[in-house]
Amino acid sequence: MSQFELPDPPNDGITAVKFAPNSSNRLLVSSWDSNVYFYDTTPDEAKLLQKFESRAAVLDVTFGRNDNEAFAGGLDWDVRRIDLESGEQTVISEHNAPVNCVAYSSETNILVSASFDSTLHIHIIEGAKATSVSTIQLPHKAYSISLSPSKLVVAMANRAVYIYDIKTLKDATYRSQTPQSTINVEPWQQRESSMKFQIRAVACMPNDSGYASSSIEGRIAVEWFDPSDESQKRKYAFKCHRSIVENENTDYVYPVHALAFHPVFGTFASGGGDGVVAVWDGSAKRRIKQYTKFGLGVSAIGFSPDGAFLAIGVSPGLESEHDDGIPVEEGQVKIVVRQLAEEEVKGKGKDSKKK
Amino acid sequence: MGKKRRHPDIEEVLARPWCYYCERDFDDLKILISHQKAKHFKCERCGRRLNTAGGLAVHLNQVHKETLNAVDNSLPNRQGLEVEIFGMEGIPDDVRQQHDQRVTQQYYEALAERQAATGNPTPGVSGIANASKKTKLDDPQDLKARLAAFKAKKAAGATGNGSGNATPNSATQQLQSPAMAPLPMAGSPVQAFPPGGQASPLPPPGAMNPYAAPYPPPTGYGPPGYPVPGAAFPNYPGQLPYQPPYQGSQPVEMEAFNTAPPGFPTNGQAPPGAPPGAAPGAPGLPSRPAFSAPPVNPAQFQQMHHSQGAAPPGADGSPVNATSIDDLIASASKNASATVDTTVAAPEKKGKKDKDKDKTVKLLYDDVESPEAKMARSSRYAFTPDRTKSAAVA
Repeated sequence: MSQFELPDPPNDGITAVKFAPNSSNRLLVSSWDSNVYFYDTTPDEAKLLQKFESRAAVLDVTFGRNDNEAFAGGLDWDVRRIDLESGEQTVISEHNAPVNCVAYSSETNILVSASFDSTLHIHIIEGAKATSVSTIQLPHKAYSISLSPSKLVVAMANRAVYIYDIKTLKDATYRSQTPQSTINVEPWQQRESSMKFQIRAVACMPNDSGYASSSIEGRIAVEWFDPSDESQKRKYAFKCHRSIVENENTDYVYPVHALAFHPVFGTFASGGGDGVVAVWDGSAKRRIKQYTKFGLGVSAIGFSPDGAFLAIGVSPGLESEHDDGIPVEEGQVKIVVRQLAEEEVKGKGKDSKKK
Repeated sequence: MGKKRRHPDIEEVLARPWCYYCERDFDDLKILISHQKAKHFKCERCGRRLNTAGGLAVHLNQVHKETLNAVDNSLPNRQGLEVEIFGMEGIPDDVRQQHDQRVTQQYYEALAERQAATGNPTPGVSGIANASKKTKLDDPQDLKARLAAFKAKKAAGATGNGSGNATPNSATQQLQSPAMAPLPMAGSPVQAFPPGGQASPLPPPGAMNPYAAPYPPPTGYGPPGYPVPGAAFPNYPGQLPYQPPYQGSQPVEMEAFNTAPPGFPTNGQAPPGAPPGAAPGAPGLPSRPAFSAPPVNPAQFQQMHHSQGAAPPGADGSPVNATSIDDLIASASKNASATVDTTVAAPEKKGKKDKDKDKTVKLLYDDVESPEAKMARSSRYAFTPDRTKSAAVA
């Protein structure tokens, strides 16, 4: 199937690519160049619809309840709501350090943000406003968060993973009196990563049964929420995003920057520092597909809600030292949208037949 | 044989063609080839079925201007394009050996299971009986040796019989392997599959005899010594001519005990806790090349090497610090499970065992901080919001 690059890509590294919840041709992209980009990704007519400027680099963006609402967070420490029609931006909460993750739960209408200040903010969104905001103190910085229909998975430094029940968080937030007050909510489960290295990304299965996490050491772990021994025995991890250079006798191991589950078939894609995207069947433990190298490094990926498209954010240099930021050259940062054939993303296991 | 047997014998199982990329086996080479063309060498763009991965790479390159990175639908460690596979041709020897090993093991596991379920004797028994018939022609000295060995085995309540190879982790199995290895030397060239053949789950007492056959009447190392696995070695000085076949079969033996570090069997000799590498201390013994492998398997090395501050390297899994054989076994299996590479990656560990030794693993990113956290501090992105107005919030 075909793939194409979007016109007018960001000028600096891409931090997130997210498709709209209700249409498969609206894409939000956040970038280190301090902008949020809003694209029309209709094949052959792809264009940049709008660009929303911020004061500092934007580390994550997500759609809200509909295709006209977005939330973003970044180095300006703020969580902002962006009205994609009017372009109006409103700050809905302020962290005490850069905000690196935002995630919106359409089931419960809450927005979760994570920051380097080792807190989560839980926002209850009603209309265009956050009516209640609460703060949850975490033991470490959260590096990646992901929402399933009923759970919030927070992957932190020191290989810690907390799983929260969203309803519990929402109820506690309702009860909190002062805005942004710290609430004590025990995680539903506390886990240690099954990988030895720092967690890089986490993504929940769309069927609410578990999650996949990736590490900086070319590895992905798949595990299930169900705490029973039986379910826990099913968890596994495997190596990926490595390249063996035979004549140097060296195994180059890349970080796995991005994970995304296919919304229909329950398979998942991974994007790594090697510039490769692979699609995996988590239940059959097979790789379904590996695409040709997209460029220097894949920093973000996202499936469209109907599962027909995969957006791939390509950026250089996340692996190297960057005292002065990433040296970016023309053409290195790009967004590739791939139109998917069913066999590229459909697994063989029984899970994929469900829908 | 007029009647069709329901259960093929090991030769038939091993002779089945199988696919290098996904380890599936087939009735017929033709089916294998069409499987490979359909599953692994098919062009996703135009549906053309090529004969080899190389052919597909050239096709993609010339027709679609793309490069092929990896073979589709393949096991993670078999994705490479370096090997040119067509049907059963081109499979590297080590991979083939592993496959045979695995198939053999599965075969005997199934056999033992069936036997347990039906109570029927193993078809293999007759083969073993034949082998012992042959050795009956041996001189009385051999007979004595065999008797001595058998008695010793019995006396020590040797647990070897029937342990089968279904439990590669059990200590008995580990210890047994050195004793089994000499079988090929017993002058039975019939042993086309030494590891599998010997690992037959139920060697009847007669079957034990060939093991003893090569040893001269024990002198200093009498019956009591025999059951101690390590004691099998003292016989070697007198048995130098047998060394080469022993070495030859050793690596294959080792493969079966993948979960244990190489050199594990030496722990029967080495004082627990001492690095097994120190074992070859027995004076006057020839060197034992097969056992000179590092005491820690590569997977463990990697684990130790990679383990982050949380777990001090070696403290939690290294046999060096283990205090007993039980610990060793526990740590070995723990480490095996710690890598959590289940079915997908299991063959990989075997295959790369040797290569990994001298391979450097280079992490492209190795920091306890996330790349974003690091970059956020760099001068280029530095930004501190003016929070005077909202200081109350903080």
